[in-house]
Amino acid sequence: MLQCIFIVSDAGEVMLEKQLTGHRVDRSICAWFWQQTISLGDSFKQQPVIASPTHYIFHVFRDGITFLGCTQVEMPPLMAIEFLCRVADVLNDYFGALNEDIIKDNFVIVYELLDEMIDNGFPLTTEPSVLREMITPPNMVNRALSIVTGSSSNVSETLPATTGSSVPWRTAEPKYANNEVYVDLVEEMDAIVNRDGGLVKCDIYGEVQVNSRISGLPDLTLSFTNPSIIDDVRFHPCVRFRPWESHQILSFVPPDGQFKLMSYRVRNLKSTPICVKPQLTSDGGTCRVSVLVGIRNDPGKMIDSVTVQFQLPPFILSADMTSNHGTVNILAKKTCLWSIGRIPKDKAPSMSGTLMIETGLERLHVFPTFQVGFRIMGVALSGLQIHKLDLKTVPYRFYKGFRALTRAGEFEVRS
Amino acid sequence: MFPQFGATAESLSKASTAVFRIGTDAHLYDDPEDVNISPLLDSKFDSEKCEALKRLLALIAQGFDVSNFFPQVVKNVASQSLEVKKLVYLYLLHYAEKRPNEALLSINCFQKDLGDTNPLVRAWALRAMAGIRLHVIAPLVIVAVQKCARDPSVYVRKCAANALPKLHDLRMEEHASAIEEIVGLLLNDHSPGVVGAAASAFTSVCPSNFSLIGRNYKRLCEILPDVEEWGQIILIGILLRYVIARHGLVKESIMFSLFNIDIDNLVQDESDITSNEEAGYAIDNSVSELGNMIFQCYIERPDEYLSRSSSTNRVAPNLDVSQFTSCSNDVVKILLQCTSPLLWSNNSAVVLAAAGVHWIMASKEHIKLIVKPLLFLLRSSPASRYVVLCNIQVFAKAMPSLFAPHYQDFFICSSDSYQIKALKLDILSSIATDSSISLIYKEFQFYLVSMCKMDRMIRGISTFSSYTDPDRRFAADTVAAIGLCAQRLPKMATSCLEGLLTLVGQEFFCGEIRSLDGEDDVLIQAIISIKSIIKLEPPSYEKVIIQLVRSLDKIKVPAARAMIIWMLGEYCSLGEIIPRMLGTVLKYLSWCFTSEALEAKLQILNTTSKVLLFIKGEDNLTVRKIWSYVIELAECDLKYDIRDRSRFLKKLLSNNLESHYGEKENSESQNRDLSFVLAECMLGGQTKALTIPSEPIDYRFYLPGSLSQLVFHAAPGYDPLPKPCSLPYTDFDQYDGAAMGDSDEEDPGTSGSLDEESASDYSSEQSISGSGEVSSRNESVSGNEGEDNADQLIQISDTSNVCDTGFQDLMSTKSLESWLDEPTRSSKGSVIEQSQLRRSSARITIGDIGSRVKPKCYTLLDPVNGNGLKVNYSFSSETSSISSHLVCLAVFFENCSLEPMFDIVLIDEDYSKISDSSNQTSPPTENTLKFHVDKPALVSMDEIPSLEPGQTANRTLLVRFHHHLLPLRLALFCNDKKFPVKLRPDIGYFVKPLPISIGDFRDKESRLPGMFEYMRSCTFTDHILELNKGSNSLTEDKFLVICETLALKMLSNANLSLVSVDMPVSANLDDASGLCLLFSSEILSNSMPCLITVTVEGKCSDPLIVSVKVNCEETVFGLNFLNRVVNFLVEPSVTHL
Repeated sequence: MLQCIFIVSDAGEVMLEKQLTGHRVDRSICAWFWQQTISLGDSFKQQPVIASPTHYIFHVFRDGITFLGCTQVEMPPLMAIEFLCRVADVLNDYFGALNEDIIKDNFVIVYELLDEMIDNGFPLTTEPSVLREMITPPNMVNRALSIVTGSSSNVSETLPATTGSSVPWRTAEPKYANNEVYVDLVEEMDAIVNRDGGLVKCDIYGEVQVNSRISGLPDLTLSFTNPSIIDDVRFHPCVRFRPWESHQILSFVPPDGQFKLMSYRVRNLKSTPICVKPQLTSDGGTCRVSVLVGIRNDPGKMIDSVTVQFQLPPFILSADMTSNHGTVNILAKKTCLWSIGRIPKDKAPSMSGTLMIETGLERLHVFPTFQVGFRIMGVALSGLQIHKLDLKTVPYRFYKGFRALTRAGEFEVRS
Repeated sequence: MFPQFGATAESLSKASTAVFRIGTDAHLYDDPEDVNISPLLDSKFDSEKCEALKRLLALIAQGFDVSNFFPQVVKNVASQSLEVKKLVYLYLLHYAEKRPNEALLSINCFQKDLGDTNPLVRAWALRAMAGIRLHVIAPLVIVAVQKCARDPSVYVRKCAANALPKLHDLRMEEHASAIEEIVGLLLNDHSPGVVGAAASAFTSVCPSNFSLIGRNYKRLCEILPDVEEWGQIILIGILLRYVIARHGLVKESIMFSLFNIDIDNLVQDESDITSNEEAGYAIDNSVSELGNMIFQCYIERPDEYLSRSSSTNRVAPNLDVSQFTSCSNDVVKILLQCTSPLLWSNNSAVVLAAAGVHWIMASKEHIKLIVKPLLFLLRSSPASRYVVLCNIQVFAKAMPSLFAPHYQDFFICSSDSYQIKALKLDILSSIATDSSISLIYKEFQFYLVSMCKMDRMIRGISTFSSYTDPDRRFAADTVAAIGLCAQRLPKMATSCLEGLLTLVGQEFFCGEIRSLDGEDDVLIQAIISIKSIIKLEPPSYEKVIIQLVRSLDKIKVPAARAMIIWMLGEYCSLGEIIPRMLGTVLKYLSWCFTSEALEAKLQILNTTSKVLLFIKGEDNLTVRKIWSYVIELAECDLKYDIRDRSRFLKKLLSNNLESHYGEKENSESQNRDLSFVLAECMLGGQTKALTIPSEPIDYRFYLPGSLSQLVFHAAPGYDPLPKPCSLPYTDFDQYDGAAMGDSDEEDPGTSGSLDEESASDYSSEQSISGSGEVSSRNESVSGNEGEDNADQLIQISDTSNVCDTGFQDLMSTKSLESWLDEPTRSSKGSVIEQSQLRRSSARITIGDIGSRVKPKCYTLLDPVNGNGLKVNYSFSSETSSISSHLVCLAVFFENCSLEPMFDIVLIDEDYSKISDSSNQTSPPTENTLKFHVDKPALVSMDEIPSLEPGQTANRTLLVRFHHHLLPLRLALFCNDKKFPVKLRPDIGYFVKPLPISIGDFRDKESRLPGMFEYMRSCTFTDHILELNKGSNSLTEDKFLVICETLALKMLSNANLSLVSVDMPVSANLDDASGLCLLFSSEILSNSMPCLITVTVEGKCSDPLIVSVKVNCEETVFGLNFLNRVVNFLVEPSVTHL
């Protein structure tokens, strides 16, 4: 079981330590970790499980904050990593973002949360909705209150009633004037496109996000028109396994508010909505780059937020890139970002330019990989469709809304 | 350009953050010490206390030691504000171990909070109290945990389960059984949340006490999908271990088929079955030797592993067919059925744990289930992706066919870290099949193109060290992977080889712009791969060798050169062209010998010698010249290694040379000289292709999903799977039997309701409704959830199997009520129970039991150590008239020697030596007990002037044990010789009988509820002996015998008075359940009453389950007393025979 959790800032400063068991972990372990990171570089930091001379260290890196968990004994490593991720999620959820200042400003809440989330190295309460009831998240109102009155407690005086119930994820009996449920299909497309334009792989990773605002204890049933296309699924704990096993129906008592009901995967799609054709030719110390972007299989909806990004190859002295649509920027770490926005109907956007190669090199030997980003509102590219959503156990009517969205995940075009 | 503007912008952004930070605790973190903290702590306003505590917390967070505020903080533990409490607890737990004495001050407050009506307060108090980790208060914590384990709030029970490992960490052997008992109780809880926490406690407290699991196995399986995610991870592991320990491995699993390869002496029909399956799934032939190793490693312990690896032949553990079970076994079926939905869990750790179970237990066709969920995990966070890939790597190596169709998922993204890339490569190379290899090979080529070139460019100009450049390592890995694929799939070998050759060509083409710093992993790796491919089938790759040899003068990397030279020597007899070019090449080599690096020089020496042996005919002369030239050069080399080698070769071959040189026609005996044979053996003859496996398998594997598997060594606390079927069918069979589906005679009482719903019994829907009901009827017996709960209660009360738990729960609700509510209600409750008891029982008296009490005799000094003097002692039931603190002992002296003895006396030496500081020896329990030790431990004993041989003498001894349980060191003087002896106190005699009526007993009992009541159960077997003695036993006799043995046992081991014996009347003839004995006593030192209730469950002729309940105001004493009673009840009596 975890013996200690440290929260370390971008600069290697230990912002917080929480000892969990009787076996105290000295914070010098963080110094060791930081030193190794500096001397060994990224390849060390990318190792999520490290055997240090005294402890096993698990670490999760999120928005500049490193969450370190230490133990000396055997424990499931994924459990530690998942837990640290969960801590990061909860903090992000509480404060709206994660950075050094936010952690420091709210260190008391972080302590209280950690104390509630883990007891003696074993996770205790990790359900976000329950935590929210036990420890109030900071908001403008209670901040203002604390300025005026000088004090405000964010520790709940009572135990959430749900901790004992059979649906621990649901707040006890919320009341809404308008009962409504929104279901979003959010899909991400992961694809690898070869130099010759062929698809190496193309998968969809999707999530069913539900925002439930229903009074009482509703029992919902959600079914798809074509569940057979789903390759694999993962469920929120509220989903009952049996109806899915027998009829591919999602039956659940939802938590209150926004949550991720299910994630799924659809494999081996045959086409992408967008095509990106890079061309690189190099000769005599310069390299000509041209990238063409076009719509390949029109999904019927607007494709927007299109971006193409690539790492400039090493040994490039200068780059001069222009585009006929959108803007081109060279960002830090030699990243070139072309923001296109919406693809215009009348012309195909293109970017072209020359790269000056360092003297002594004739040709470019390494060709960059282009990362493509896009967003399509209103369509789930996997083709998954929601059939219907029914509400049982609660008598009144409710409003239901469905939306779909597809965006690029790890969409790579090789050149 | 505009510094002032920049500064303004900076200050602006600072200002905006400052605005944003208003109202948060930012100022406390930034400058925690800008006000004086201690007056704030003493403030009477909660808000000021809060601020002070937050400042302290900020200091803790920043790593300062603020333990000097401890006394002031501890005072605030009594605050009513929950926020203050929480902050105090946070502070307290951080420093409690540093300041144990001050921490003790808070205990009273916790005790009070434990009785609070708010479950949150109770839970926090328990967590804080257990978190303090002091030995002194451990007994109190155990009591508190025992109480909280029966709390109506799920949250509190969960915290109780989490407190158990904290207690266990204190290593208190004397309480181990009590802790385990609570674990069992919590595992039996009807709330899934509690079961999860209890599972975690189980693994840290008593991971091998499978009887706790066996009792509940089926229920635990069914509850598994509803347990919260973290608990699931642990519980899955426990269930897996239990099934293996109890029922062994599964015959249809891949684990069995692996052992099957080794074990030939299998029954014929079984191997038939497996061969049929082989045909169906074509898995066995793809299961490598590696897989076999993996499973062997899962089971064996480190010491076994060491002993095996030290011996040369790897012997598989001797598992036989009896250690395997079929997967049609219901136990296995349930496990797999209940873990398979967890493969859909949102928590990747749960998925991996469930996959691990299937990997080990599932039959081969069902193992496929785990593939997709595992692959889906690759879409989670990068950290978990790495862990999952490490596990997939092992799975894929042992059973490549599993992941072979999904090779695309292991294609590399540009955003992957080096570790992940390397793992993916390794997996790809081990799962490649004939159909997928062409695509995989294309991928590999792409990686090489995108990596190698960059690598070369970087090295051409900048000076990166090899470690910081993962891309380069990755490229080398890719080359190695291509080699591996070619070896695995001979079809691809040619095209792989071509690719590698072009790569080598490109590499040396660019050799000029490369700085020669010896970082040529890619090239070296390419040559290694080529070498291993050639080894497969040398004759068909003759041209490749020639091509390599031709490129020798372009390749500058010594290691690569050495390898090519080695290949030349190795395959010098191959084909037609190579022998012809040998002469030229050797000339070239000898020419550049001096400029070579060490390894290349050595290989040149070897190769020349090999060629010399091989070459016959006219070339021999040239080669011999070259050879002598090289040897001469080598003999003058700077490196001793080369000088040695040359001398060795010279010696070895000179004989042979001469014989060749001079008389070629000589007799065979001279020609086939011994040294020639030796040389032939050493240098001639190619190393056999494929005689050794591609890589030596000598590392260990650990269980899937474990930490050890990631770090490649057994982490502390790593435990391999238990030995199959190592768990004997023992006393808990009676629980197990009913729960296990494999037994034919299912007990209708325990599993009836489950059978009705067996099709849906693990669906969460059903259990939601079930647990909903359960929580509403808190008092009902857990273990069975269903509709007909009224029926079940009745069933349970007349099945013996679950009586134990049933009874405890019944008691627990009573004690809970009494603890939480006012005593009036609790007495009412007990009256009801009492009247129920009376209705069904008859009171009996056992006459003259007092005369039959034989106190147990202990040895103080045995004749061997005491020069023939034997001294025994027993505790007597008399009480001293001098002081209430004194315990009476009867001491028996016997002279077993042949000579008389004089002046025998026992004295307390410690006291007579240092009469004022004897409390040095007092244990820490003194702190709580607060007894003053300023009196001698022994009231002086009458001296025995003389003892003749064979004579005995009795003396009564009055001892002051100071109310603690450490042995008393005394000195026995005899014939002026001193014998140190130890007198062990018996807490059973720290009390004296308190004769009271039953009414008084009940009255006193009702006044000692809640915290003052402790209960444990144990098994009692003494009566079986007694029953067997009297062969013509009537039923009535049986009860009497049990009563008598129990009463005698109690009275012979503790100074009690028997109040009453209640016997069940209406019950079954053979059912002793309901038998109840009451004893009363009072503590010697302070005359507090101590009441004992002994209740019996079970059948007359079987071991009985005895629940002992002690009501006593003195908390620690009562607990110790209870433990003592349980201990002597369990130990079989010998003295009574």
